[in-house]
Amino acid sequence: MDGKKKGKVVMAISIGISCFALTMVMSMQFKVVDQTDITSIENMRESELRAELSNWKDKYEDVNTRYEEVDKTIKEYKNQEKSDNEKSKLLQAELSQINLELGKTDVTGEGITITLKETNNTDTAITADDLLVIVNSLKLAGAEAISINEERVINTTDIVEINNTFIKVNGQRILSPYIIKAIGEQTYLESSLLGNGGYVDELKKNGYEVTIEKNSKINIKKYEDELKSKYMQ
Amino acid sequence: MIYLGIILGSLLGVVIGVNAPIISYTYSSYLAIAIIAALDSVFGGISSVLKKNFDLKIFLSGFFCNAILSILLTYLGQKLNVDIYLAAIVVFVGRMFTNLTIIRRYYVEKWSKKVQEVNKK
Repeated sequence: MDGKKKGKVVMAISIGISCFALTMVMSMQFKVVDQTDITSIENMRESELRAELSNWKDKYEDVNTRYEEVDKTIKEYKNQEKSDNEKSKLLQAELSQINLELGKTDVTGEGITITLKETNNTDTAITADDLLVIVNSLKLAGAEAISINEERVINTTDIVEINNTFIKVNGQRILSPYIIKAIGEQTYLESSLLGNGGYVDELKKNGYEVTIEKNSKINIKKYEDELKSKYMQ
Repeated sequence: MIYLGIILGSLLGVVIGVNAPIISYTYSSYLAIAIIAALDSVFGGISSVLKKNFDLKIFLSGFFCNAILSILLTYLGQKLNVDIYLAAIVVFVGRMFTNLTIIRRYYVEKWSKKVQEVNKK
């Protein structure tokens, strides 16, 4: 009787253990099946998955190297852009320098102001030739900017006498008194006009009123018209 | 007492199995085949109880050995690139059906005997 009972207990325990093992494994399996996206990997074996994984890795490396290349070129472009920027700055500086020399900007600097005037003692008016001589003398003395009655003298400036009655500079009629401004080394400019054989002296001898004023700050206005070129290339 | 063991063991197994960490999908095929083997043993055990030749040692050894062996065979099949687990499933499920048939026949016969007895009365 006792042995039978013992056998029953052993049987119950061992069957319980096997039930435990079975249900545990089953519920684990249910959970795995439930939580895995089976549709996507249903027909794939492990080896296929591995192959695909390595494939993706290769692709990733490919893309990575390409990314690095693109990054490199971008850096190069940036460097180039920088140097382009510097170039454009240089060009800008050059351009403004050229504009300055062409007379397209207002300029200031040390120089002299010459005022020419007819008086009662003179028989003839001041001619364009007189002005031309003075401007040429100033140019010879290294004048960097010259204006006559605020008309800027540039390389194409005309100084002409029309019908012996009035003077035109840059196509604009100008009247006495004539004020010539020049920027440059003051003493050079002055000495080119005064002194032995200086034209101002001659004009003075002929009875004109000529004054020369040195000034450390002279404003000369820019050439007002546009610079046009139609025929030259 | 035996039913108590079955119920307790099953409940414990479900609780632990649900709370257990997820195993990789790679190994779930082994688990599946082990489950099939164990279920086959269970039905075999039930039918042997009905035939009155149930032996605990044979049941337990069949239960665990079949599971482990089927796992090993599946592993071997994967190494050989042969789907051995298919053969295992065919065998186990076929046996399950025969055992189920035995169980069904037993109960149907029992029931029809009862009906006959009732009719005699």
